[in-house]
Amino acid sequence: MEEFYCVFSFQTVNHALAFEKMIKEEGIEVKLMPMPRQISTSCGTAARVSCDMEEIIKEICKRRSIETEGFHKIINKNENLWFSKFMNKKKKD
Amino acid sequence: MKGKGKMFLYGGIIGLVGAILMKLGNPGNMGICIACFWRDIAGAMGLHRAEVVQYIRPEIIGIIFGAFFISYLTGDFKVRGGSSPILRFVMGFFLMIGALVFLGCPLRMVLRLANGDLNALVGLGGYIGGIFIGTRFLKRGYTLGKSIKQPKVAGFIYPIIGVVLLVFLVIKPAFILFSKEGPGSMGAPIAISLALGAVVGISLQRSRVCTAGGFRDIILIKDTFFLWGLIGIFAFGLVGNLVLNLDTFNLGFADQPIAHTEHLWNFLGMVLVGLCSVLLGGCPIRQTVLASQGDVDAGVTVFGLIMGAAFSHNFGLAASPAGVPPNGKIAVIVGIIFISILAYGVVAETSKAKQKVGLKEAKVNA
Repeated sequence: MEEFYCVFSFQTVNHALAFEKMIKEEGIEVKLMPMPRQISTSCGTAARVSCDMEEIIKEICKRRSIETEGFHKIINKNENLWFSKFMNKKKKD
Repeated sequence: MKGKGKMFLYGGIIGLVGAILMKLGNPGNMGICIACFWRDIAGAMGLHRAEVVQYIRPEIIGIIFGAFFISYLTGDFKVRGGSSPILRFVMGFFLMIGALVFLGCPLRMVLRLANGDLNALVGLGGYIGGIFIGTRFLKRGYTLGKSIKQPKVAGFIYPIIGVVLLVFLVIKPAFILFSKEGPGSMGAPIAISLALGAVVGISLQRSRVCTAGGFRDIILIKDTFFLWGLIGIFAFGLVGNLVLNLDTFNLGFADQPIAHTEHLWNFLGMVLVGLCSVLLGGCPIRQTVLASQGDVDAGVTVFGLIMGAAFSHNFGLAASPAGVPPNGKIAVIVGIIFISILAYGVVAETSKAKQKVGLKEAKVNA
């Protein structure tokens, strides 16, 4: 399982939908997903993108006046969960 | 999958609390119902005079305290607001009218279903229908706009309301009304209600369980994450009821506690609730939790809910087990049309703004 992924967050669901449409138009892969808990207490929508596309997408957003709230790198903290600890331990054994 | 599992368990806590509170004395299938509970509080304050539904529900106080303290401790307490407050107030107002025609908020709908009340299934259909209509507006550009930072002191209004309600509940001053019969006279012991309310507040603040968000995401982005919270509420509510409340479990439409069998109005009442919830970005319980963690806009929405409850009873809009009064039917139809017009108004304006941006972009490119 990958250890981190990147998302853009938005203030409103509507901004997320506009982002998805325009970024897809530019031929870049994007997937909308529920806002990760680590970034926000809202139950809004975020857009998952490839981490190395950050600058290119930011440039497109600026050019096409797409509003985003921020760019975040989300690190999966699997090691905190008891069952992943258990699994890791098993692997080591 | 781990996120969804967590969501399921957090939802499960809420479902279980619902079953326990019902066992301990809350009205039938009303272990927790945010619409009903704010309505009871409105009645206790004398904002309406429906004598059977007046009580300061300790669960609400618990939810406020729970969500406030946990958000304060974890740094989630952020005071923001200023995103279309009056539209939110009006949507909260009509949301409550829809909920009181169906007789329950989306949370009680799930809890009713978990105790065999199939009228709630009709309501669920309406709720999803309303959310579907709302997502059409979202797709076309509907937004209430960004919120901005507010003075920190504004975030303490809801916790203070919680304290004031608690004082009223304990000292029972003469100007606060308490039902002597009917649902308002039924309640679990205060301390337990408070504590379990706090558990619900904490669970909701941590997990962001949202009944409207669950269906919205299925429709809009085909994601089931938030839906797992709802499934958890239902599953644990069902198991809790089968264990604790087996004597009241009744699968069917007829003879359900605090419910009626007018299918059309159960459906349309929840269409209005679904529509308002998705346009607001959260159902009543979510709004209550957000209001407690510093979201001033959600706070205004909850005032709308309270006002909607008062008007519902004063104008004879609210349903009862006897059925939906004519005024209630008219109000639901008016509500669906009126809220749609408001949403359309927002869409029309944002698409105008978009056109402007498009023109600017074309100029820059040229």
